[in-house]
Amino acid sequence: MTQETRAALPLAGIRVIDVATVIAAPYCASILGEFGADVLKVEHPVGGDALRRFGTPTSRGDTLTWLSEARNKRSVTIDLHRPEGVELFKKLVEQSDVVCENFRPGTLEKWGLGWEVLHAINPRLIMLRVTGYGQTGPYKDRPGFARVAHAVGGIVYLAGMPKGTPVTPGSTTLGDYLTGLYGCLGVLMALRYRDRTGCGQYIDAALYESVFRCTDELAPAYSMYGIVRERHGPTHNDFACPYGHFPTKDGKWVAIACTTDKLFQRLANAMGRPELASFSTYGEQKTRLEHRHDVNEIVRDWCGSLTRDEVLNRCYAAEAPAGPLNNIADIFGDRQFHARRNMVAIDVEDIGETIMVPTPIPKMSETPGEIRHLGPRLGEHTDEVLRELLGMNDQQIEELRHKHVI
Amino acid sequence: MQMTEQQSADVQVMGDTPHSASESLPESHPAADSAPVEPDAEQAHTRYAISPQRELPAEDDKLPMSGIRIIDVGNFLAGPYAASILSEFGAEVLKVEHPISGDPMRRFGTPTRRHDASLAWLSEGRNRKSVTIDLRQKEGVQLFLKLIAKSDVLIENFRPGTMEEWGLSWKELSAVNPGLVMLRVSGYGQTGPYRRRSGIAHIAHAFGGLSYLAGFPGETPVIPSTAPLGDYMASLYGAVGIMIGLRHREKTGRGQVIDIGIYEAVFRQLDEIAAAYGLYGKIREREGSGSFVAVPHGHFRTADDKWVAIACTTDKMFERLSEAMERPELASAGLYGEQRKRLAARDTVNQIVIEWVGSLSRDEVLARCLAKEVPVGKVNSIADIFEDEHFQARGNLEHVQEDGLGEVVIPGVIPKLSETPGRITNLGPPLGNATYEILRELLEISGDEIRRLRQHKII
Repeated sequence: MTQETRAALPLAGIRVIDVATVIAAPYCASILGEFGADVLKVEHPVGGDALRRFGTPTSRGDTLTWLSEARNKRSVTIDLHRPEGVELFKKLVEQSDVVCENFRPGTLEKWGLGWEVLHAINPRLIMLRVTGYGQTGPYKDRPGFARVAHAVGGIVYLAGMPKGTPVTPGSTTLGDYLTGLYGCLGVLMALRYRDRTGCGQYIDAALYESVFRCTDELAPAYSMYGIVRERHGPTHNDFACPYGHFPTKDGKWVAIACTTDKLFQRLANAMGRPELASFSTYGEQKTRLEHRHDVNEIVRDWCGSLTRDEVLNRCYAAEAPAGPLNNIADIFGDRQFHARRNMVAIDVEDIGETIMVPTPIPKMSETPGEIRHLGPRLGEHTDEVLRELLGMNDQQIEELRHKHVI
Repeated sequence: MQMTEQQSADVQVMGDTPHSASESLPESHPAADSAPVEPDAEQAHTRYAISPQRELPAEDDKLPMSGIRIIDVGNFLAGPYAASILSEFGAEVLKVEHPISGDPMRRFGTPTRRHDASLAWLSEGRNRKSVTIDLRQKEGVQLFLKLIAKSDVLIENFRPGTMEEWGLSWKELSAVNPGLVMLRVSGYGQTGPYRRRSGIAHIAHAFGGLSYLAGFPGETPVIPSTAPLGDYMASLYGAVGIMIGLRHREKTGRGQVIDIGIYEAVFRQLDEIAAAYGLYGKIREREGSGSFVAVPHGHFRTADDKWVAIACTTDKMFERLSEAMERPELASAGLYGEQRKRLAARDTVNQIVIEWVGSLSRDEVLARCLAKEVPVGKVNSIADIFEDEHFQARGNLEHVQEDGLGEVVIPGVIPKLSETPGRITNLGPPLGNATYEILRELLEISGDEIRRLRQHKII
């Protein structure tokens, strides 16, 4: 990537301080970085961001999650427990547009770095504050992790076999990514408002809220009709049948979803049993829902009699909505992932390995996002940033290092 | 519940509703007279502040997205939800729908007394104005292009190729509006070998690698989370793309296309799964109620047959849990003080927690854990959520009075912005409630001409 194309990215000229940890607020900064922002990852000099230890370690010590998700960031170590570190941080804030943080409410305030202080230093500042429960409300001081946010936000209750143990909804990090997205959107809207008015603001994002917002009509249905949605299992949907996961002869799984009668008609054609979609049998969603066990049984029998590839090919030929339950090995072999370049292999010199990471989304025709480098080593850019932004010389930097401020 | 339907082209053309039903659809305003149009009564009715503590900005131009007009011609949620969020922060959203059946989300999910509005539509169709245009007719396409010329953003989620068939390709759209930012959401994206396949969120969860991971090891994979999760995810990326696209347009005058496959949004959220397979050949499997990175980290049943989530991501958290369990020795170096050791003795550690949690009521477990600052939470049903004081304090449940329906409770606006909080102006509108207003006032089409368009079923 040349300097020219980089300058052309829409967020070039925006500086983001990411003083947060793990995934949620940092993921906001990652997206901004992919589209051109300069992201300074401010970390504690000893250990740095806990994400460096979350997941599978590499020979460098930093985990794969760190390498992938700290993409494009510059690591700057500052100890915010020390007054000199606090002063240094304030100077960086003066020259920045966005701060992303996720300390427990009151922590930054304790260090003398609360919103009032930072806003006074830089009235144009936009601050993303991510916590488990938000900056207000009775639970605001509780520790919050995505696992807990999934439970509190209402999606864990829905995942699992009916009456069985509620399971992890696929990934323990969904709430983090969702909150990073809401945070990023908040930052981008706040930047737009600031460009017009000169006025900065903060964004108060809670992990559980991002999760709860994805629950379609759960709230209005309870409020109006007292319906408490229970765990879905593999095939249950209140409004569509067949809808779910079905095992194939070769011990794999397919997903099928007939949300309309038209789609069921196509599935019936794929199964070679068009009569199933007639008006007098299962042509109508209402009838299929009433006889969901029979309908699911028919689909299960059919899927079980064929390999996954056979089921899918017949469904695709009839344009019935079906897809494989891909594991990561399936994904690596999939033509669509390759054609869309959803992963890129990046050489990491100090590890001596090539790391596969997901590419930036969304895909934009004029200004595609980019990965300039993967997660940096702890403090890799401290000297560079202190020189470049704060005009410090080697001696001043050495002094700070000697005092363990950086 | 299923919200995305990338068969939308078929839906628009054929619909689930018999075409004869069109005659029974009520007009939401006088068909075509030249008298000034009253502002929609419902809209005025349901305007209220998002948060009790903070005044609603007096005018929409105090919101970050004011002055931005979005045309949402999508069906269901994948893409349209991006318009919902931006509308909450001031954008004007025109929902362009087929004159006969409209967005199929109007009929999806739990019905209400309003025949053109399911609960899902009322909630997620929020803040829109409905404008009916038949895009299968040439005149409808011409009308649509006039709207595009006066708008900033277009959101669509037809099967790739459908817009092109109607004469609404990017080339044609950008010819009338070079600054247009266009969001295109589909199951598999606009390119690649599977682009024409029908792709809905349920399939995208599976294809993107999430569904494989939900359930117990070796057992049936269950539906992860809610049915339209991927639609929400894709829309969030879409909204981010729109904001970035608008910023680029302001600098350069140039618009662009944002292309999202729902499966990509799902896949992007699976942390290191690709890197770990690429480097070590590790295939992540279903983890039941647990996690591969930490123990104890899962869901536990209480004595009163409820559930709690406990997440000891770090050693410090486990130390606190041991104190809450009144067994501090468990966190010693010789026992389970280190994550490494806990992962090695996963079943033993989990069993200790299962037994402790199982001996107490949910309230007791929560109280003891919270006293020691252990990350813990209830596995909330929607009934629990409605009773929860924190949801109430944060204004996460918006109570809206809707004519003819009474109170409708919907999720409130997130994220929360300190200077410019978002707001909900109206629930999902009646079909075509703003057709006359927009044609008359925005496109300056005469009353006679509007009557003619209506007679020809173009609007």
